[in-house]
Amino acid sequence: MICVNDIEKEIGVFVPMEDDDVLVCRCEEVTKGEIRRAVHAGMTTIEEMRRFLRCGMGLCQGQTCGKLVKGIVAAELKINPLELEPAVSRAPMRPVEMKVMGKDGGQGGDAV
Amino acid sequence: MSERIMEHPILGITPEGKKVTFTFDGKELTGMEGEPIAMALKNAGVMVHRYTAKRHEPRGIYCAIGRCTDCVMIVDGKPNIRTCITPLAAGMEIQTQYGVEEKR
Amino acid sequence: MERYDVIVVGAGPAGLSAAIETAKCGMRTVVFDENAKPGGQLFKQIHKFFGSKENKARIRGYRIGEELLAEAERSGVKVVLNATVMGLYAQKEITVRIGDAIKHYKADNVLIATGAAESVVRFPGWTMPGVIGAGAAQTMMNLHHIRPGKRILMLGSGNVGLVVSYQLLQAGCEVVALVDAAPRIGGYGVHAAKVSRCGVPFYLSHTIVQAEGTDHVTGVVIGEVGPDWKVIKGTEQHFDVDTICLAVGLSPMSQLLKQAGCAMKDTKGGYVPECDAYGRTSMDGIYVAGDVSGIEEASSAMLGGSIAGITIACDSGYLADGSEQIAKYEKALGNLRKGMFAPENRGKKITQTEEGIAISETLLECGYVADSEIERYPGVTHMEGVHPVIECTQNIPCNPCQDVCPKKCITIGNNITALPVVDSKSQCIGCGMCVAACSGQAIFLIQEDIGDGMGTVTIPYEFLPLPEKGQIGIALGRDGQPVCKAEVLDIKSSNAFDHTNLLTMKVPRDMVMRARFFKS
Repeated sequence: MICVNDIEKEIGVFVPMEDDDVLVCRCEEVTKGEIRRAVHAGMTTIEEMRRFLRCGMGLCQGQTCGKLVKGIVAAELKINPLELEPAVSRAPMRPVEMKVMGKDGGQGGDAV
Repeated sequence: MSERIMEHPILGITPEGKKVTFTFDGKELTGMEGEPIAMALKNAGVMVHRYTAKRHEPRGIYCAIGRCTDCVMIVDGKPNIRTCITPLAAGMEIQTQYGVEEKR
Repeated sequence: MERYDVIVVGAGPAGLSAAIETAKCGMRTVVFDENAKPGGQLFKQIHKFFGSKENKARIRGYRIGEELLAEAERSGVKVVLNATVMGLYAQKEITVRIGDAIKHYKADNVLIATGAAESVVRFPGWTMPGVIGAGAAQTMMNLHHIRPGKRILMLGSGNVGLVVSYQLLQAGCEVVALVDAAPRIGGYGVHAAKVSRCGVPFYLSHTIVQAEGTDHVTGVVIGEVGPDWKVIKGTEQHFDVDTICLAVGLSPMSQLLKQAGCAMKDTKGGYVPECDAYGRTSMDGIYVAGDVSGIEEASSAMLGGSIAGITIACDSGYLADGSEQIAKYEKALGNLRKGMFAPENRGKKITQTEEGIAISETLLECGYVADSEIERYPGVTHMEGVHPVIECTQNIPCNPCQDVCPKKCITIGNNITALPVVDSKSQCIGCGMCVAACSGQAIFLIQEDIGDGMGTVTIPYEFLPLPEKGQIGIALGRDGQPVCKAEVLDIKSSNAFDHTNLLTMKVPRDMVMRARFFKS
């Protein structure tokens, strides 16, 4: 685990890249450059990244960009993507309207 | 212009569906009842389903199975409807979505 | 709250196979699936499957889907569609969205068979309308009968990229290029060969530089990648396309398992639950089967599902002894996991077949076996009269050709991955069953001399419109390049061939070993 205070020492300063403007998270429109900058700002886990930039928090819930974000964060931290802790997995697995969610009384479950 | 496959070397002759009319941004189009809205639009040559909120970029069909949510549009006044898995019905009003709403 | 003995999440090949087994043992089984139609991806698979008779080889995927559904119904499995499982909890309770309600169900056993989602790559313009997943292309053309585009570039040379490229051609689309950043094709050589011979050029060690267009894709630029995986300046080339199709791998959809608290592991093949060979996860009563536990293909998903289903029945006391059935399925599964593309060989460069024959370099790098390489394989022989020429050049677990020949001309033997050998004293009657049965479309009937300096080549043909007898066209080589003029002598179609037509063309004698496709 990298100590946030030492981050520049560990991974160097942010160096702009040609493809920084390419979108990674399609739903929340987060670019590669934003993700890389966030790493330098101290977001070293997927969980922090999601809260900080909202990448993977949109309608598709990270279904599309999850792997890409992981790859970019790992590359910036100069570690293997397998070393990064995956994001927490929470219900609901698919987007659902609040009015539907709100009706969940914890029972239901009639015979189908 | 049609992208409909009428006869396929493996799947044979495409079963004839029931033609219905619907509107896309006020323009009348036809499609097959029950097929995903996105398919009827694709067949009519519509590529852009929405423009994104931040960068105002065009989006269309991407995964076609309801996962990526890129193809969402306003259907009968309701935004964020995944058109690739929502069946077409006669008289539907389909609108291009701008951000999460219709064009102002 | 409604309780079941078994809740299965996902009505694909793995989930249905498992549910069939548990229901057969008398367990109350329900399958939830978020889609409007069951079968998972099976109904989009219109090609014939590899394998042996025991695991439905040479049957097209969608037919297997139909059989599986019928069996599920016969076994008393309840399938609930448009039912999205939103959460899985340690007490083996699930929340399901059905219509505008969230419902709760509980079971003694929960099997997760949610399959996989397509992976993506990014490049400038990848979010533009016209860039689609390969699965999207399959869904559009094979389920909804809509062509995904007119001129298409495919990225990815794994089996998905190869198979979908061929299906695009069958749907009447033009595939202008098949591109992969890897230096060698990733999928089966026979799948590549059938795309190549139709004239689709392969660009290995290439990647997409950008998609072009303002509102939707109107073109694409690709470039050669160097050893550092970056595009080499000056190698860029442009194609006019309206569609870019991405086939860059699959990732297990394992979120439900993680949410429930199952022990997980991050692997190169994705984030998967820790489980034993029978589908048991770290949590009592929670099982997995199919791609969600590691990407394979539909045939192994079905076998894995069956094994998990029997295991659930045994663990719950509904089946006293399932060891015999499990052994049977394990044997079939073991066979499917043999050969060059076996899980343990992933990422390895294999240079020789099991028989010690050099693998075709051209096949790996360009997508077809070169004329100078083809003679080294045991299925490629020369003899008088009509006889099969089998261009099967890699060890894959598949043997229908051996089973269908009424004259027993073709031998694979007990080792299912062995290359087929054609008996030199072949009594071939030219029935063409082998040509139609070969899932890789790698078998041709050749008659080297029919007089007048001409010979005939019979090829599997799965396109429309069917050429007519007497039609003159061009014969294409394995590389898709024109080799000579050809005349169609015969077109045979039969129920036994299952939509694979046999096209016999007359070509000059010296072209019978080169002509492999007919273009009107």
